[in-house]
Amino acid sequence: MDVAYRRQGAGEPILHLHGVGMTRRWLPFHEALSQYGDLVAPEHPGFGDTPLPDWLEGFDDLVLHYAELADLLDLGPLHLVGHSFGGWIAAEIAAFYPERLRSLTLIAPLGLRVPGHTPTDIFRMSRERYLDLCLNGRADAYADQFDEGDETLFQSYAELTAFAKVAWNPRYDHKLDRRLGRVRCPAQVIAAQEDRILPRAHADRYAEILGVAAVATVAGKDGPTGHGLIAQEAERTAEQVATLIGGR
Amino acid sequence: MHELEFYSMVDATYLWFPPADDRESIGIDLSNSAYDPDLGQRVYDRVLASTRKAEELGFDGALIFEQHNHPLALFGNALTGAAWLAGETEGIRIAAVGPIANAYLSPVRLAEEIALVDMVSGGRLTVGLPVGIGVQYHAQGVTNPAHARSRYREAVALLHRIWTEDGPFAWEGDHFHIPYVNVWPKPRQQPHPPVFIPAAGSRESLELAAKYGFTYQAILVPRPVLLRNCETFRELCRQSGYEADPKQITAVLEVHVSESDREAQREIEHHELWGVQNVFRFPFHESFPPGHVSMASLRGMMAGGYRSSDPSKLTWKEMIDSGSVIAGSPETVRERLAEVTGEMGAGRVIVTEPWSAPTWLQHKSITLLAEEVMPHFRPKGDGRAVWQREPRAGYRTATEFVARAPRYAGMPVVNTPDGRRLELYGEDGLTTNPMEEAQP
Repeated sequence: MDVAYRRQGAGEPILHLHGVGMTRRWLPFHEALSQYGDLVAPEHPGFGDTPLPDWLEGFDDLVLHYAELADLLDLGPLHLVGHSFGGWIAAEIAAFYPERLRSLTLIAPLGLRVPGHTPTDIFRMSRERYLDLCLNGRADAYADQFDEGDETLFQSYAELTAFAKVAWNPRYDHKLDRRLGRVRCPAQVIAAQEDRILPRAHADRYAEILGVAAVATVAGKDGPTGHGLIAQEAERTAEQVATLIGGR
Repeated sequence: MHELEFYSMVDATYLWFPPADDRESIGIDLSNSAYDPDLGQRVYDRVLASTRKAEELGFDGALIFEQHNHPLALFGNALTGAAWLAGETEGIRIAAVGPIANAYLSPVRLAEEIALVDMVSGGRLTVGLPVGIGVQYHAQGVTNPAHARSRYREAVALLHRIWTEDGPFAWEGDHFHIPYVNVWPKPRQQPHPPVFIPAAGSRESLELAAKYGFTYQAILVPRPVLLRNCETFRELCRQSGYEADPKQITAVLEVHVSESDREAQREIEHHELWGVQNVFRFPFHESFPPGHVSMASLRGMMAGGYRSSDPSKLTWKEMIDSGSVIAGSPETVRERLAEVTGEMGAGRVIVTEPWSAPTWLQHKSITLLAEEVMPHFRPKGDGRAVWQREPRAGYRTATEFVARAPRYAGMPVVNTPDGRRLELYGEDGLTTNPMEEAQP
């Protein structure tokens, strides 16, 4: 397998699946989460330094890809954490391989069809606008977690292309509603205070399907958190994840 | 001067939409609440009038184009429009540019439509097969832009096989699996109508056009890039084992002819500016949805290719100097047209007027073009259009049909339940062959 990944920490394995953007670096969120276990943070096919394979067509390809990676790294039952697009992939993995999970944490996860609560169309905006929405108008404060320098245009186009391969149409998997009934491990859903990309109803619906009593909300220190909460509040988000994982 | 075929681009633009300042983009969510059927009718009336005018003037072809989800061309299906225009004209070639293969669930449906229009038009169809501009992928609901190139290539390959091989055959592709490909009818022009591939210059598109012997319809890009594309295309044709015919390169040019250079500017400058300021204002991310261009093409574009500068900032002088607009007296237009198409090695030109120009002005300009410019690019002493010079596909009269149609031997026998054997059109039969009675 040709996969770029970062790994740090000790204890039970944690697999973190990223959203669109924030690749090619060890993030403060990675650092914080690695305090609670053996954190593996791969870059999806077509993202960061993982090449775009010609076989990537759908979520089934991503599910098998990560099953193979987990086997290769000998991760055993793992804590699965996914943010945004990574949350969608995590939900799919959980539906297909529930027995591989110790726990499931979905952070501002895409993937469901929630009529009347369509996510913002991120295929129709500049990167600047996207970051502005993700970080609730405070993108400058987190530039070091996103900036790609001269390669920004090309890198973001390449990553959006990989994202579009699986998520352009439809932009949800309506089968998740039923399939997630297979999940037996402890689960939690984490939302931002003011998510300008993904309406709150998505987190609520995930919680309902997974039988989670309440959605956890991560509060921001310098304003309400947005879709990019793992950048805005890396430590607090990691702490919230850890309430389910334990560790340390 | 070198020979040129002239196609008049017939514009079907609905002009009564809000100015660019009030919106981000055209082609995705500009509300169709601005559409009024009376104004719409006016657009179709203009299409018909301009097509008839082009035929009357002796243009080689009239060209309509397909767009989706916006007012720049009220043909969601260029083939439907071509069928209509073919029925309203006699001889001029009708170019339908063109069905977006990716808007079809199956290329079989596309092959059926192309063949049908080619048949009923008497083999007058030219079909353009564009990959489709990026904004269309937001509103089509059929294809993912990230798979668009590969699906398009497969659709064209299947179409080509449908045209060149008898069915039934099985198609087992990445995007289409069709157990029995067996399309009826076949096109009137054999093996297939001429095909234009509109391309901004991506290597993928040029390769495809060269591979199948199609025509590269050169979408306007900065001049040096355009000339390089033409050279690349000729080289790709050589690699495919043949020398490109000049007609395989078609220039697309804004052309306006008037009494003098000064008069031409007075008549058309404001319309040219309206176009570049209102029509071509697609933000990058909407023109190029993810995967719509390859990473190599994207890097090429950013280095000076397709619309890497903002067209809405263009001035009249820049448009004239770059050759993107050819306007002036007949003499000026003759010289400039010869120069620009000569540099490209183009054997065809599609002339367009700004979409906002009134119908009478467009007719004045193409009349001057036909009478004062086009004869210089026709064979010496012969001002006829290509459709007048070359034999038309198919027969014209019943006698011609009977003389050339081979008798179909397999059909006309029926066994009756009481054991007789009757020839359907034989002496014992009750009917005569309806085909022999048909009037063309």
